[in-house]
Amino acid sequence: MASFPPRVNEKEIVRSRTIGELLAPAAPFDKKCGRENWTVAFAPDGSYFAWSQGHRTVKLVPWSQCLQNFLLHGTKNVTNSSSLRLPRQNSDGGQKNKPREHIIDCGDIVWSLAFGSSVPEKQSRCVNIEWHRFRFGQDQLLLATGLNNGRIKIWDVYTGKLLLNLVDHTEVVRDLTFAPDGSLILVSASRDKTLRVWDLKDDGNMMKVLRGHQNWVYSCAFSPDSSILCSVGASKAVFLWNMDKYTMIRKLEGHHHDVVACDFSPDGALLATASYDTRVYIWDPHNGDILMEFGHLFPPPTPIFAGGANDRWVRSVSFSHDGLHVASLADDKMVRFWRIDEDYPVQVAPLSNGLCCAFSTDGSVLAAGTHDGSVYFWATPRQVPSLQHLCRMSVRRVMPTQEVQELPIPSKLLEFLSYRI
Amino acid sequence: MDGEEKTCGGCEGPDAMYVKLISSDGHEFIAKREHALTSGTIKTTLGGPGQSAVNETNEVNFREIPSRVLSKVCMYFMYKVRYPNSSTEVPELPIAPEIALELLMDVSFLDWEIK
Repeated sequence: MASFPPRVNEKEIVRSRTIGELLAPAAPFDKKCGRENWTVAFAPDGSYFAWSQGHRTVKLVPWSQCLQNFLLHGTKNVTNSSSLRLPRQNSDGGQKNKPREHIIDCGDIVWSLAFGSSVPEKQSRCVNIEWHRFRFGQDQLLLATGLNNGRIKIWDVYTGKLLLNLVDHTEVVRDLTFAPDGSLILVSASRDKTLRVWDLKDDGNMMKVLRGHQNWVYSCAFSPDSSILCSVGASKAVFLWNMDKYTMIRKLEGHHHDVVACDFSPDGALLATASYDTRVYIWDPHNGDILMEFGHLFPPPTPIFAGGANDRWVRSVSFSHDGLHVASLADDKMVRFWRIDEDYPVQVAPLSNGLCCAFSTDGSVLAAGTHDGSVYFWATPRQVPSLQHLCRMSVRRVMPTQEVQELPIPSKLLEFLSYRI
Repeated sequence: MDGEEKTCGGCEGPDAMYVKLISSDGHEFIAKREHALTSGTIKTTLGGPGQSAVNETNEVNFREIPSRVLSKVCMYFMYKVRYPNSSTEVPELPIAPEIALELLMDVSFLDWEIK
């Protein structure tokens, strides 16, 4: 069973450059399970990196320090090394200006992590209007952790203190995501077949329960303008929800097995989903069309084989911030970097037992977590995007596909704008 | 930028390093010839690198392209040169949505070979 299409010579695919590793500390006792690193996350402003180290702990490291360590000490960096406290250039004595490492004991196996900021991510705003209803004294950076028993704990990143304990899910909270517009709305996806919407500015009040999944919900993701939520789950489920009215917009059909990861492109025009059926699909979320298929097994499996234990489950997918590249993790011990206009990977890197991946905030590094609690980092393939692509992203941030189709422009440009090339 | 003033005179002649791009509203942008020649349309007008131009002063008049678009094009030239392909951190070039569509159409008109 090949990992690449027949016309591709595997040896010619570029290997990605490793940046570093964060290895889990050796466990005091030898346990077969409980060490998994189910999730990694970067803070929206790039200041922190968090990963669930296994054994119920989450480690928070200031990202720039981490990068510096990699450069200074070579690629290996055992996490127990003494925490360097490099003050930022403009430290004025405030706690916030000295980013510190934290190890947080969550009390239960951590399945999901998400950073939430009361500052809106730049990409989600096409025009720079700040319209917070509540202005916090200082910009808050929160870390939400989803646990095995269904609880969600909210921590303050700068101090490492527990702020809130959200109790409602009855089963594992498999994924968490904050709305990127700074509103501190948190959505949790759980094995109890529901998603719940929490308002953290209102003391963690649970605003809504999204029902519709018939089985485990694996993952969820907000569109960059915070208007749409995608949730994916077992039994081939891919749902899109309207986050103003909390209604289901549509179901996307096409996968043959459990769908376990999803991510929007930075302009909201594309949605990537990863499934145990060995494929990653790139959809147009506005009309449900499948635009690209990234296969991890060749020849492509028949639906029956795809729907079972085919040894080539894709575990995670992540969109890069340039809107041109996608990274995927599969069970064949490889990380693949794809361009959205090619159906074979442009770069690969070896990784055993990978479970989750995430691009750093500036898109230059990909972090992947593994079964033994470690994290590995690679440099992402970067290139200057074409002027046409930059324009396309700028237009698509504000215009859905239906509007694009109405534009009085030549058909070739229409297709380009709709990502149909 | 000192060379800029002298080089305006260097916009003349077949071996000029710089060319002048003029927008529809009369703004003049001076760009390196090799960057401007990535456009098939400009290449045709100017006659390719090193060749003597029909228009001796190495100017190209864009009667349909306004300065708000042409300025972005010139910014893109510098952005592309500033961050070569091997660099790992390439920030995004901000393009306001109001001009993005117009820019996209004009770039296509210019038959740009930017990939």
